[in-house]
Amino acid sequence: MSLTDLMTMATPNLGSREKILARLCGRDLVNCFQCIKCTSGCTALKLLELKPHEIVKLVNLGFVDELASSDIIWTCATCLKCVQRCPQKASPYHVIVALRNLAVEREAKVPEGYLKAVSQILETGLAEPCRKIVTRKMETVDRECLGLPKVCNPKESFQAVFMKAMEEKP
Amino acid sequence: MTKIGVYVCHCGLNIAGTVDVENVTEYAKGLPDVTVARHYTYMCSEPGQRMIQDDIKSHKLDRIVIATCSPRMHEETFRRAVAETGLNPYLVEIVNLREHVSWAHTHEPEKATEKAKDLVRMGVARARLLEPLEKRKVRVEKSVLVVGGGIAGMQASLDLANAGFKVYLVEKSPSIGGRMAQLDKTFPTLDCSACILTPKMVDVAKHRNITLLTNAEVTDVKGFVGNYEVSILKKPRYVDAKKCVGCELCTKACPVKIPDKFNENLTEKRAIYIYSAHAVPKIAVIDPDRCLRLKMKKGSVCGKCQEVCEAKAIAFEQEPETIRVKVGGVVVAVGSEVFDASRMAELGYGRFKNVISNIEFERISDASGPTGGKIRSLYSGKVPKSIVFVQCVGSRDKRFHAYCCRVGCMVTLKQAILAREKILEDVRIYVCYIDLRAFGKGYDEFYSRARDMDIDFVAGVPSEIHCSPNGSLYFDVYDKGTSKLLEMHADMVVLGTGLVPNADLERISSLFHASRSADGFLLEAHPKLRPLESAVAGIFLAGACQGPKDIPDTVAQASGAAAKAIDLLSSGEIELEPLKAVVDKDLCSGCKICESICPFIAIEMKTEPGKDKEKFRAEVIEAMCQGCGLCSSACPTGAIKIQQFSNPQVLTQVQAALAEAKPKGGK
Repeated sequence: MSLTDLMTMATPNLGSREKILARLCGRDLVNCFQCIKCTSGCTALKLLELKPHEIVKLVNLGFVDELASSDIIWTCATCLKCVQRCPQKASPYHVIVALRNLAVEREAKVPEGYLKAVSQILETGLAEPCRKIVTRKMETVDRECLGLPKVCNPKESFQAVFMKAMEEKP
Repeated sequence: MTKIGVYVCHCGLNIAGTVDVENVTEYAKGLPDVTVARHYTYMCSEPGQRMIQDDIKSHKLDRIVIATCSPRMHEETFRRAVAETGLNPYLVEIVNLREHVSWAHTHEPEKATEKAKDLVRMGVARARLLEPLEKRKVRVEKSVLVVGGGIAGMQASLDLANAGFKVYLVEKSPSIGGRMAQLDKTFPTLDCSACILTPKMVDVAKHRNITLLTNAEVTDVKGFVGNYEVSILKKPRYVDAKKCVGCELCTKACPVKIPDKFNENLTEKRAIYIYSAHAVPKIAVIDPDRCLRLKMKKGSVCGKCQEVCEAKAIAFEQEPETIRVKVGGVVVAVGSEVFDASRMAELGYGRFKNVISNIEFERISDASGPTGGKIRSLYSGKVPKSIVFVQCVGSRDKRFHAYCCRVGCMVTLKQAILAREKILEDVRIYVCYIDLRAFGKGYDEFYSRARDMDIDFVAGVPSEIHCSPNGSLYFDVYDKGTSKLLEMHADMVVLGTGLVPNADLERISSLFHASRSADGFLLEAHPKLRPLESAVAGIFLAGACQGPKDIPDTVAQASGAAAKAIDLLSSGEIELEPLKAVVDKDLCSGCKICESICPFIAIEMKTEPGKDKEKFRAEVIEAMCQGCGLCSSACPTGAIKIQQFSNPQVLTQVQAALAEAKPKGGK
């Protein structure tokens, strides 16, 4: 291999890169000239050190495996600012989602929060559970005391469809 | 009996690398009427041409088929070579084995060779029916219309006028000078724009061969190369140009304030104004949409300008005037516009007063601008303590314009240097860039000079710009040089806005039938070999209307376009291709379909007294016909044909194409 990362001695895996590119339907979304506008505005950078431009560059170079097994791809807040503002119509966000899919396919460790969210949706049909909130007047309220209808659990048919979608390989 | 020579060109390996040229040559030898068939490395070379010429003499060939590159490339070359032997040059048929075969089917050499044989067979079939044709000469007007009075139009006009040509220079605004007149200094030598421009403006106005038409627009173009008839609408100034002395008394008396376009609307002028301090001609002009009297159409309203004008030059009664001129060629030099940065909402232009565009910075830096050349915020009046330049605004951005604006980097370097020189060490100057492109003569040295002047370069551009309540700006930017996320604060952000196609280009391109490229600029006839002209004969291109350009490139192209026009018109006559439409009068039914679809207005319906009643017949104006063939295919009676592309000549090719085709499918 003509390229080696001297920090980790890793070499590019072009097969894995092909998988990512196939998910992205071609190269348009990784056509990046490193203006770094995405990272300058990244919501997840400040707390979690996500650098979208680096992710796109690493995928371009073929260092896909280390990304798929890393924690960093799970820190994207999916605010889509990078998609909106990229001058080259590339999309770090779509690259990150493709990497997450690859990670799941390889049964890499998925952060607990995501697994929780999946079981949450499966059980209740909602990404976020109904919970009590505190108003400006410092009163704790829930749906019932606001006179809102109770949220029903989804029908079994929903769960079947959801499970089927999860099992399908994208 | 017809004797045909077939010549297969290798084009180095361009054709021979894919197509088996020997096989094709052997095949050609077996075709009917083919007397000789040869192949050679470069048919267009001197020995290649001589080979054809020798064969014409020794074998008495009367038709030549050359299987080579596109006819657009070398048809003329081979026609000339054949004409030298005395054979009519229109008895040459070109078969395109490069663009149509080898380049299109690089990975399928065997199929490519079969296709090459098919095309050669078709070419030979057609060659048999070719007819000798003669070129015709027409007289041309030795005058040129130049559209646009910026530096490109001025340079082209001066070159043409000095060569003895009559020039009509049409400028839309009340003064010539264009964009360059708005600039403070010019890169990379930092000479003052006005100092090098104004003498040229005066030269243009004084030149006896130049008719200067300011405040005017081209409204109609008729005719053809060498003989264009142009209508120019001269809008009224409402000021008598012969009487006005440019004293500016009226511009102080007028009560109506309007934005000053020359100052990028940063200041106000009056409804009667002189375009700029260096305006040529220096004659006042009234904005009819804003002047109280002209708006209300009442003689009793206002009239303050009339009261103060000592020269009695105010002329409210002026009317628009249409001038018609005959010219041989046209130089289009209508320039470009600056990208409207408010379209890129994240950068805050139009929302935050201290975010300005580079053309606005230019006016602020210029001595005749709103601050008298002092660099300060127009909002607070304070001298900025930190200035950040943000590059590639609207350019290299697929959401707006995908191309590089070609001037933004150098403009920013120049403005950063000007800011440093004017404010000295009391200011921090940063440039946020994607790639810094300093490619011209002396440009990279200029970049180096900027770095020496304590101007800092950040490799990365901000995602968005914020404004604090006190008007100062702040934003995050990730620098790839240091791999650090930086927070920057700035009193002034200058956006490196690029050049974009003029809003007028749509009208201009349809007026002159000049096509536009995908980026919206006018399209040159060939990107490398014919960059100074449009595809329409006699229409030349100069300056930023053909693509974004800096001043040196604009001036070079303008002089080049002028030279091209001189080349075309200097002999006083031009040769016309004989590949035109001709009408068989006996077959023409006078239905007028051809007249209605001809894109070049080259068909005229003439009346002819018939037995019962008057009858219409189509007639082709040869000089205007471009031989496109629309009329021929639309004619219901088959009365119009294109020379050398008559029905038999085309159909014999079709028959030859199908002669060896094997039936596919079916039972």
